[in-house]
Amino acid sequence: MPHIVVCFKWVIDETYLRRAPGGGLDFSSVDYKLSDYDRNAIEEAVRIRTALGGTVTGITVGPPEAAKGVKDALSRGMDAGVFIADPAFVDLDPSQTVSLIAQAVRNHVGPFDLIICGEGSGDLYAQQVGPRLAEALGIDCVAFATQISLEGGTLTAQRRLEGVIEVVTAPLPALVTVLPEINTPRIPGVKDTLMAGKKPVRTLAKGDLGATGGPRLQTLAVRAAAMERACEKFGVEEAEVIRFVDALKKRGVLA
Amino acid sequence: MDFKLTEEQELIKKNMREFCEKYVDPIAAEIDENSRHPAEVFQKLAEGDWMGIPIPAQYGGSGADYLTHICAVEELARSCASTGFTVSIHVGIASMLILLFGNEEQKKTFLVPLAKGEKLGAFVLTEPGAGTDVMAATTTAVLDGDHYVINGTKTFTSNGPTGDTYLVFAWTDKAAGRKGMSAFIVPRGTPGMTAGNHFAKMGLRSSQTSEMLFKDCRVPKANLLGKEGNGLAMAMTGFDHGRTGIAAQAVGIIQAALEESVRYAKERVQFGQPIARHQAIAWMIADMATDLNAARFLTYHAAWLKDQGQPFSKEASMAKLFASEKAMHHTIKAVQIQGGYGYCKGAKVERLMRDAKITEIYEGTSEAQRMVISGNVLR
Amino acid sequence: MAVLWIFSETTASTKELLGLGRELISAVGGSITVLMGPDGEGREEWAAYGADEIILLPPLADGLAMEAHIPVIAAAAAEEKPDIILLPATARGREMAPRLAQRLDTGLCSNCVAVRWSGGDIEMDRVVYGGAAIQTVKFLTRPVMATVAPKTFSPPVPEEGRSARLRELPPLAAGTVPGVRIVEKREKRRLARDLTQAKVVVAAGRGLEKKEDLALVEEVASLVGGEVGCTRPLSEELHWLPTELCIGLSGVSVKPDLYIGVGVSGQVQHMTGVRGAKVIAAVNRDENAPIFAQADLGIVGDLYEALPKLITALKK
Repeated sequence: MPHIVVCFKWVIDETYLRRAPGGGLDFSSVDYKLSDYDRNAIEEAVRIRTALGGTVTGITVGPPEAAKGVKDALSRGMDAGVFIADPAFVDLDPSQTVSLIAQAVRNHVGPFDLIICGEGSGDLYAQQVGPRLAEALGIDCVAFATQISLEGGTLTAQRRLEGVIEVVTAPLPALVTVLPEINTPRIPGVKDTLMAGKKPVRTLAKGDLGATGGPRLQTLAVRAAAMERACEKFGVEEAEVIRFVDALKKRGVLA
Repeated sequence: MDFKLTEEQELIKKNMREFCEKYVDPIAAEIDENSRHPAEVFQKLAEGDWMGIPIPAQYGGSGADYLTHICAVEELARSCASTGFTVSIHVGIASMLILLFGNEEQKKTFLVPLAKGEKLGAFVLTEPGAGTDVMAATTTAVLDGDHYVINGTKTFTSNGPTGDTYLVFAWTDKAAGRKGMSAFIVPRGTPGMTAGNHFAKMGLRSSQTSEMLFKDCRVPKANLLGKEGNGLAMAMTGFDHGRTGIAAQAVGIIQAALEESVRYAKERVQFGQPIARHQAIAWMIADMATDLNAARFLTYHAAWLKDQGQPFSKEASMAKLFASEKAMHHTIKAVQIQGGYGYCKGAKVERLMRDAKITEIYEGTSEAQRMVISGNVLR
Repeated sequence: MAVLWIFSETTASTKELLGLGRELISAVGGSITVLMGPDGEGREEWAAYGADEIILLPPLADGLAMEAHIPVIAAAAAEEKPDIILLPATARGREMAPRLAQRLDTGLCSNCVAVRWSGGDIEMDRVVYGGAAIQTVKFLTRPVMATVAPKTFSPPVPEEGRSARLRELPPLAAGTVPGVRIVEKREKRRLARDLTQAKVVVAAGRGLEKKEDLALVEEVASLVGGEVGCTRPLSEELHWLPTELCIGLSGVSVKPDLYIGVGVSGQVQHMTGVRGAKVIAAVNRDENAPIFAQADLGIVGDLYEALPKLITALKK
């Protein structure tokens, strides 16, 4: 019976972000949520466990306040949690997050068959932790799966690339990142939430794990995207219509 | 002082929000238009344990506190006031009264299916001649061997046509006055009990309301809730819980009115700028947000007192009075802000305004609340 | 002087990366290397587009996917130490780049939308918080790595007569073969209409004179890979389109990358359902139509004149 590890992140709910005067971001009224993409990852792990048995362990890195996220994640059907917590664990580089999770998986989680990650996090959406983690643990990686199954020590996954669908197999243990279309995450019931607090959570402090190395990227600024739309107007002459199409292309919205 | 919900309460509230966005928002206008009871939504509510939040797990509920239930009602009402109300009266009055006053047998037989959401509860008190003046009721229950025989006509029964388990109030000893009324648990299908005329209402349209007619309706003695003569006292306890739910419903309505107003005021341009920049509109929104906070704190406080095991009758009435009157006031403003658009069918504020009105009327009118509050203050 | 590597997956993305690469290299001097599969198909073009060197990767065994090149690329990069490595932000690129970055223990800017030099450092912009904000990053490690959002940078103008050195990378002497095997490959089918999932939505409004004219709107939609939606009057009053395609307060909300309102006046009841669109575009003959106040781009003109021209321009 498989042991599945799911990675998840407690993120800022972007619907509460406001534009601050001067073009920055106003975080004063933000709320947090379990990253939407990770809900699919958890759902998929729980779906497999329901079919095959086994256990699902969730793992996250964050500041102590993310404890609520651990509870949220557990309310979605996982069996146990590993919470790597420290006030300093905010805005970590993907490489640092991966270093922490890889150490925790190696030293505190025990043997596993499959790691499932969402396709990216709901806040920074760098889409790095999954594939980097596979490398850090030296296991095979299948990204952007739309369907997965386990049988006899093999992962079979369907993945979506531009214009083509690939079905691949990989020996376990392996890591897979899943696209939102893979399933419809449940909305936890009242009892699921109440029971989540009673599930075992192992909290690992900074000192329980080794160094992560420094950040590889430095954020220089985060500023609000232009939310008010300033309409650029075009005429109806042929040259103007072509300029209009080019403007759409420039914005990267024409497939 | 601690103004924070617990992690569980917050998560449950968030989950209810998500539930509403997925299952309630898409149909709210339609069930209002067609006066339809959304059985499919109640099925989903039952699956998510939303129909018995404060009922202990041993009786089929979730075993959470009353405030958690109140948060759920608020979120439901924010999407659909009718659905929020149906859950409120089912849990807050029908189920809570059996929990508080029922014997073990009654809890097993009637409370468990209610708390699991398999059955829907109804509260049958009001009569054509007895609204706020409960003592003017005429329905009687006469003991005949092992049965009580109920005769009379009840009206404005919420969940009347859709209910399964009815709490019926009738005189067992009219001469005993306030100690002469009793309550009975009457399951749907009991011969002699039928739903009469359905009411077509201005608002709260998907909640089903009807007369309930009792003609030689024989109810086993075992279905007497609590002691004979205790009916009125139990009804008052039910109201304390129910009114907190109506307050939550009104809070949900104000929240929705505020959201609709903010959204529209930022988008609607008149005189060259979004109307939100016109002070007349901005101040309406400021008042809305302020009253929303006040109403919510009053409501949560009443529920919190209940969870602390303290008396909360006065506070429930205050919360209900304040929240319902503010809901009416601000939904009118929300329609005003959206102008002609807000007055048309299909605009959410139009439904909110019609739904808000009932919160000032049922489970005790604003006037009745003022009687309770002044009675407490002037005691 | 900087050495810039580009991993080539598709022709279109490689041209765009070369466009960006040339912009970067022209500022500081240096060279551009394109790494590509062993068949080298189309490599002649890369020189004209700015490549100074082509590296052919060793052949892959049957059933191995492109990601199987990772160990060879990582080993070569570790040895040759390029300053910058760019990959396309395609599904493949978005998997390969972080894996390479992990092997090279370096930082990666995912889905970068803008690049510039700033005092000898490269700065990049990327979109965060679901489109609500732009994050600017600089790199503390080398090589600088990025995946680049498709259609963000233009291909350079080809220069005839340029040539590029060609070399081949040998397979790794000792390396573990990845376990991932492709067992089936198939072209994607077009999905059934689901407005809420569509990347592009073209909405028809009252500006259309008759039902048959929807064909124009549908043609635009199919050219941009989008779905057709409509305003309430078209579905609820005229019944030209099914109710499911009605967008707005009383219909569905959509969140496409691109929304184009055709003959849509821009009433808030409709616009509220498209606020989540990344880019809002409009075609309307009334310059004062409210939609222009809520759009990013708009053609002011008769849709019966604009749409045929738009169709021609899109076909190019």
